[in-house]
Amino acid sequence: MTFRDIVPIAVVIALLAFVPAFVTANTVLNFLVFTLIIALAAQGWNILGGFGGQFSFGHAAFFGTGAYAAALLQVRFGMNPWVAFVIGAVAGAAVGWMIGYLSFRSGLRGSYFALVTLAFAEVLRILANAATFTGGAAGVLIKLDVRPDNFQFESRGAFFWIALALVGAVLVLTRWIERSRFGAQLVAVRENEAAAKALGVDTLRVKLGAITASGAVTAAAGGLYAQYFLYVDANIAYGTWISVEAILAPIVGGLGTVFGPLVGAVALHGLGEITKLAAGSVPGIDLMVFGGLLVAAVAFAPQGILGLLRRPGQSKGAARHA
Amino acid sequence: MKNIMRPTRRSILRAGAASAAVLAMPAYLRAQSQSVKIGILQPVTGALAQDGEFGRMGAEMAIKEINDSGGLKGLGGAKLEMVFGDARSNPEAGTQEVEKMQADGVAAIVGGFASPICLAATQAAARYDLPYIVDVGVSDPIVQRGLKNTFRFAPGFGIVTGFALDNLVKLNDGAGKPAKTVVLVHEDGLFGSGLAKLMQTELPKRGFEILETIAHPTPARDMSNVALRIRSLNPDLVIPSSYYGEFVLLARTMQQQRIRPKGVYAVLNGAASNYRFVKEFPEAANGIMDCNHWYDPRNPKALELKKQVEAQGKVFAYNVPLNYSCVKLLADAINRAGSADRAKIIEALNTSTFKDHIMPYGETKFVNGQNMGAAPVNTQVQGNDIKVIFPDTFADAKPQFPVTG
Repeated sequence: MTFRDIVPIAVVIALLAFVPAFVTANTVLNFLVFTLIIALAAQGWNILGGFGGQFSFGHAAFFGTGAYAAALLQVRFGMNPWVAFVIGAVAGAAVGWMIGYLSFRSGLRGSYFALVTLAFAEVLRILANAATFTGGAAGVLIKLDVRPDNFQFESRGAFFWIALALVGAVLVLTRWIERSRFGAQLVAVRENEAAAKALGVDTLRVKLGAITASGAVTAAAGGLYAQYFLYVDANIAYGTWISVEAILAPIVGGLGTVFGPLVGAVALHGLGEITKLAAGSVPGIDLMVFGGLLVAAVAFAPQGILGLLRRPGQSKGAARHA
Repeated sequence: MKNIMRPTRRSILRAGAASAAVLAMPAYLRAQSQSVKIGILQPVTGALAQDGEFGRMGAEMAIKEINDSGGLKGLGGAKLEMVFGDARSNPEAGTQEVEKMQADGVAAIVGGFASPICLAATQAAARYDLPYIVDVGVSDPIVQRGLKNTFRFAPGFGIVTGFALDNLVKLNDGAGKPAKTVVLVHEDGLFGSGLAKLMQTELPKRGFEILETIAHPTPARDMSNVALRIRSLNPDLVIPSSYYGEFVLLARTMQQQRIRPKGVYAVLNGAASNYRFVKEFPEAANGIMDCNHWYDPRNPKALELKKQVEAQGKVFAYNVPLNYSCVKLLADAINRAGSADRAKIIEALNTSTFKDHIMPYGETKFVNGQNMGAAPVNTQVQGNDIKVIFPDTFADAKPQFPVTG
């Protein structure tokens, strides 16, 4: 990875970082923070699904682990929320490694892998919903105590910058994966696992690496969610909604691209939000636009929005290096 | 032809002037008759859309009534203006709508319906000291977090369950203690499992034996196994805590399989006191008891509202009178505050003794945000209608227990 690889990321993040300076409306900031949280979860999915071709339908397992760890460690054990947040991401990585070890070692691929991840997320949801430690169905409520050292901020802008910094860090991580030997091996696994194996790629190790990183990133999104909304329950943390969101953003934005998840999340949620503002009081109009955009993306832009921007004749690989 | 289509400098100027005039118009109108904006937050899309629509209807009726009868008296007849927000059945959307309402400059917010939405939305509103009246949200932490802006007009989980248990004993004792064994059926979410846990500790203390506790997910598409299990256990009482769809399914399956316990005693059930259920499945609904939010059947205003709603071909669910009353409560507070200032509204709510509601409550009195005058009632489906059987002060029918037939 060279300095030139980082430049586009730095430019995008720097531009976004100025948003709170111009937009003081909390409506917009609140929307952007939520979109960035979704983008972060989707970036996690993209590492495993976009680059590695391992389609997980259960990224809620990681998101929920991050959210619950962040919430429970501070509520039950009085831990500092910043530390709890980091441990949450590590816990997500651990859950990722575990699910990966169990399923990849058994040679699960394609739809079978998707179903197993879905099952893991559902099992975790039911456990979190039933256990007293997690607050059962009542969930965990983090006490409102606005102090920066408590990971709670007076202004929405501060939270926006933290979310943006994390998204930026993962953009760099994704760029590194794309450029590294590990990334090349990961793409090889996606394109043809048997061939990759024949060429000496340790496919189990590569896939485990991807799911671990993926788990950590999506868990960080969960931790942010808990810290921002200060409430998690089993359906929020381990619910299928987040698994779906994490898949949709990269598909719409561009699978296996660095900026795909961010572009997809902003496009899907941004357009929905703009429609809501424009259409006013028609309930559900934003959801219709969401659905319409999804159909359009799948029908006309199978490579995602970033794929549309690619010049005709340019190869897929070249586009990613552009 | 091309020339006509192409915008000239003059046409742009003309269009610009016209749009500026259109944009300036509402501001001009506003200056003419001052209005107070209030936010109505309800989930009108997603899983809770049915309840959200009921809530919105109630709030709209109250706002219309207040405006038609001369507006807010304390503010020289200023009108109430509704800013509606769709909480989309999830807490994030609820928070986003609160932010929008804040940007729109509302004086207060009413609604939320589901506990997770209420928990998130009240917290978002607390950042701006924006008064928030929770309509339903029964989870008790909503009012136990020390948020100064949050008020709950309806009873919470603790009040409802205490009331339900006391009246179950009263009902059973009054009939000569025919019920001894119980099967609990509950949805596995926040309210169902919380309730089941409470029943498991409290019922044995009151002389009931729990034969089994059966949990089911929401949504559930088939209740045959639950019904068959109930049949084999043959309990005197079934206590279900489920949402609308699942309970209707269970009641119908029990009817089809001729499972007839001595009573079905629901608590905060989504269907047991819902006119739609009674209308669509009268036989399955007959005799079912519930402990829930309800309107005061002796209040003429409540009956008039019910007539209005039914005349539109809609269902008079409890959300309608509850949200109607919450908006009235807020209007009363604004009137007494004599201003749309948030701090003054909060102060007025804290000292509220509001009585002009249509709920079976006493005088409103907020302690730490909870209305201590609030209470649920026990209802029973009798003769294709929903009757109040407890407490005696609001009852319009006698309980039928054990249910025969």
